Amino acid sequence: MPRLEKIEYKPIPARELLVEMKNLSELMIDLAYSAVLFNDKELAEDVLELENRVDTLAYLLDMEVMLATRDAKDAEALVGVSTVASAADKISDAAADIAAIVTQNIGVHPIVSEIFKKVEERLMRAKVNENSIIVGKLIDELDLAARMGVDIIAIHRNKDWIINPKENERIKRDDILIARGAPSGINEFKELAEGKRQKLED
Amino acid sequence: MSNKQQKKFEEIVERFVELKDTSELMIDLAYSSLLLNSKELAEEVQRLEEYVDKLHTDFELLVLSSKFKKEEARGFLGLIRLGVVTEKISDAAAEIAEVVLRGIEPHSVLKLSIEEAEETVTHVRVNEKSSLVNKTLREARIPEETGMWVLAIRRGAKCIRPKPDSKIEVGDVLIASGYADGEEDLKKLASPSFSQLP
Repeated sequence: MPRLEKIEYKPIPARELLVEMKNLSELMIDLAYSAVLFNDKELAEDVLELENRVDTLAYLLDMEVMLATRDAKDAEALVGVSTVASAADKISDAAADIAAIVTQNIGVHPIVSEIFKKVEERLMRAKVNENSIIVGKLIDELDLAARMGVDIIAIHRNKDWIINPKENERIKRDDILIARGAPSGINEFKELAEGKRQKLED
Repeated sequence: MSNKQQKKFEEIVERFVELKDTSELMIDLAYSSLLLNSKELAEEVQRLEEYVDKLHTDFELLVLSSKFKKEEARGFLGLIRLGVVTEKISDAAAEIAEVVLRGIEPHSVLKLSIEEAEETVTHVRVNEKSSLVNKTLREARIPEETGMWVLAIRRGAKCIRPKPDSKIEVGDVLIASGYADGEEDLKKLASPSFSQLP
């Protein structure tokens, strides 16, 4: 059992908390499916950790909503915020359930994951080849979102996973990248990372 | 592995991918319904929630009726659990959409995106005279032509998350958002006789 920490109130705007809950829960789904698809236990464990983070955010958001409610009118206006936050929390729980399939050694039938890999067009994993032109580049410089509708959601480096890497993260050789996005962009990016394509097109 | 087995596995994956795609599309549509305060989109989410229930039952029956060996049981259990998760996700999306359907005034906290929220949501049916028929979304260039962005394609009971390679068919309903003046252009493009209707 993980030790549960006491949650202290922090003055963070409710909107910020909710946006982070939304983004994290959606990211977690993609990471969790990647963990199943590529049978990666460590990545699955990181998803479980993110689930704790979303729980904390949910508590903080609840506190914000409570503090902002002074009368019945406020309550009516804010009940939607609580409902949406609780839905985002449920989505993150669902992602944790996916991850638990991997951490509990249940797994998905290997033939199924083989076929699934072929049809899943939004997620990919690639190892960065030393000859790839993205080696040494900042994520920001690659401008993947604008160029090909792709974003890197995790990097495996020296036995650690960097989840949702920042713009100023530099790509290194032998990094294992997990990316999501438009199918055509995903293929292009995989070729770039594996050094099979040498030009970054605009 | 026999051909028959391979086919069975392919069918299982195909069903699962539809469940997964539909549940994720529902999250997108649910948040969009909130952002645009669109009852129409929220109702689509509710409709899809029922559709996912049905898909999920079919998926479970398919998995359970596969003749698997004892040592394969864990792999099939994993599949059953994945199915349950897609249903949980679709329920959560439906809860978000419910906020819109209950007419709760969208609180400023719920403006989750920096996009303009003054956009409208519309749906148009593609008729046989439309130049969109048999084109992929990439070829159709709908945003360039009309300023409208396709959020989903409804085809019968299914709802498809739009991809550049998705092909538009006669009878498809395009669910799109954008500024109100693009609505008329989209209708003309999808149902060319629309302007002549009384």
